[in-house]
Amino acid sequence: MSKIQTKSTRVAFAEALSEVGRSNSKVVTIAADSQSRYGEFVREFPERSFNVGIAEQTMIGVASGFALSGYIPVVTSYANFLAFRAIEQIRVDVATESLNVKMVGTDTGFSSQWLGFTHLALEDMGAISSLPNIAIIDPADAVETFEATKAIFDYDGPVYMRIRGRKAEPILPIKDRKFEIGKAQILKPGKDVLIIACGSSVYDSLQAAEILKDKNIDAMVVNMATIRPIDEKALSDLIPSFTKVITVECHNIRGGLGSTIAEFISERGINTQLLRMGVKERFGMAGSDEMLKQAFSLDGQGIAQRAEKFLNEKCGR
Amino acid sequence: MNIDIKLNNVEKIAEQIRKDSIWMSTRAGTGHLGPALSIADIMAVLYGRIMKYNPKDPSWPDRDRFILSKGHGCLALYSVLAQCGYFDRALLGEFCSKLDTMLPGHPERKLPGVEANTGSLGHGIAIGIGMAMAGRLANKDYRVFVITGDGELQEGSNWEAAMAAAHHKLDNLVVIVDRNKLQLGDFTENISQLEPLAKKWDSFGWAVKVIDGHNIKEITDVLSSIPLTRGKPSAIIASTIKSKGLKFAENKVEWHYKVLTEQQYKEIKDELSLEELAYE
Ligand SMILES: Cc1ncc(C[n+]2csc(CCOP(=O)(O)OP(=O)(O)O)c2C)c(N)n1
Repeated sequence: MSKIQTKSTRVAFAEALSEVGRSNSKVVTIAADSQSRYGEFVREFPERSFNVGIAEQTMIGVASGFALSGYIPVVTSYANFLAFRAIEQIRVDVATESLNVKMVGTDTGFSSQWLGFTHLALEDMGAISSLPNIAIIDPADAVETFEATKAIFDYDGPVYMRIRGRKAEPILPIKDRKFEIGKAQILKPGKDVLIIACGSSVYDSLQAAEILKDKNIDAMVVNMATIRPIDEKALSDLIPSFTKVITVECHNIRGGLGSTIAEFISERGINTQLLRMGVKERFGMAGSDEMLKQAFSLDGQGIAQRAEKFLNEKCGR
Repeated sequence: MNIDIKLNNVEKIAEQIRKDSIWMSTRAGTGHLGPALSIADIMAVLYGRIMKYNPKDPSWPDRDRFILSKGHGCLALYSVLAQCGYFDRALLGEFCSKLDTMLPGHPERKLPGVEANTGSLGHGIAIGIGMAMAGRLANKDYRVFVITGDGELQEGSNWEAAMAAAHHKLDNLVVIVDRNKLQLGDFTENISQLEPLAKKWDSFGWAVKVIDGHNIKEITDVLSSIPLTRGKPSAIIASTIKSKGLKFAENKVEWHYKVLTEQQYKEIKDELSLEELAYE
């Protein structure tokens, strides 16, 4: 493999936002304290940049007011303070009316690292996915974050996009990248097991697939960047060819990708066994993202080990 | 009772809070240093002179309660709790450097002496109200001290709580606002104006006093006269300097979440008589 390039998803988001701002004068940003997440947009378009102070609920309310007045507001915060602090405003003001508000939760998964459980966002998709109407996107890397940021402004309706921190992260070593809201992408073909991942777990799943290859296990890896609306066509095309399916996400196994796939498989009556990798029945804790991924067996090694064990398990019936 | 006689020299406690905060955050390469340095003197007075507590029995029912609502200032709390003897000083070396450490970037109750999990701003006053009400219900005369940031007061939850506390005449509740005039991204008055802050608290039914949050005597005097008014919760607006004691960082917005490099640490080590960084 050639040298891996890296870039922060927060930087990619800000870069794409400036582009969007130039071509669409209806886009406004609303901050709750720091405006740094919006990057150059704030300097380029000060008249379209607003700060309501440390007040996430107000931020969502203000965004709703803008949306009801024909603008396309984008709001950002640490994902927990957006998805939990402001959940009632999101439910009543944004979701019921499908307002065109773009909500971007940052520092998700393990990327807030040492800040501890208040900041580690491992349940944010669960909160948002409990509400109807909001599209949910968890981009795999900076390249996809850039594309997804542009795409959410071409999409009419509320979106929750979860990105990560300032740290530069690996960019997927994949040539042909496509991003379309609601579309899965096969990143690596395979026949023995299907691994469906989102967010930073896509990179780790590709690593796991490499490790599995050495053990003669041929894993297919699918990037499911959109959790809602889920790509039902891809799922119905792919899942029935596998007896074992794995989901991987830096999130609780409830309320995010794993749950969504579990619902799909059981409701369609597909005869396959599912293993949901993620965080189970606990909150996050302080640690570097490497430490945390390792502790929850969500690094390449951990995913590969658990996948191998899962493949050797007899499917109970 | 405050049983640890070492703690009588409040200036020394404050100095040690600053030294420990700088030491921990430099070693870890992370942490909210500026926000800890601005509350060092207040914390020193609270734990050195005002509060009753027993480090040997952290859940002693009669203890005064302390809640760091601006949880990101926890470096100061960790230092003072170590100085009081709640845990071994060696534990400070674990700050943000060991998986699932007892000393993460925001305080958690798993560390002896920590009364509430904070880090999400705007929770502390309401929790404090519950504790103050519970104390009254149980006929206890303990008091509840809450430190909030000033930017933190932009969260509406604080004002809901402020109204409730005054309504319930909780004169066993004290809120100390760390008025360092900065928040994460800028000065508070450039983001969402707080002034006239004393008038706000007053109009919400609190007894208010504005003090110099780095003047040990002023802090001691005001905290020795709680409740400021019988039948009212007390709000103390402590005028402070963010990053106080670290000259080049004082009053600078970027020092909200910035730490020293090892080189910078070496440069100020002798002047501030800091410990060796030494990683074991
Ligand atoms: C609910 C919530 N929103 C946002 C944050 C992120 N945040 C952490 S500290 C901070 C600024 C706090 O400013 P202030 O209260 O003035 O404290 P200071 O650091 O200046 O002492 C912000 C916005 C948070 N921790 N919790």
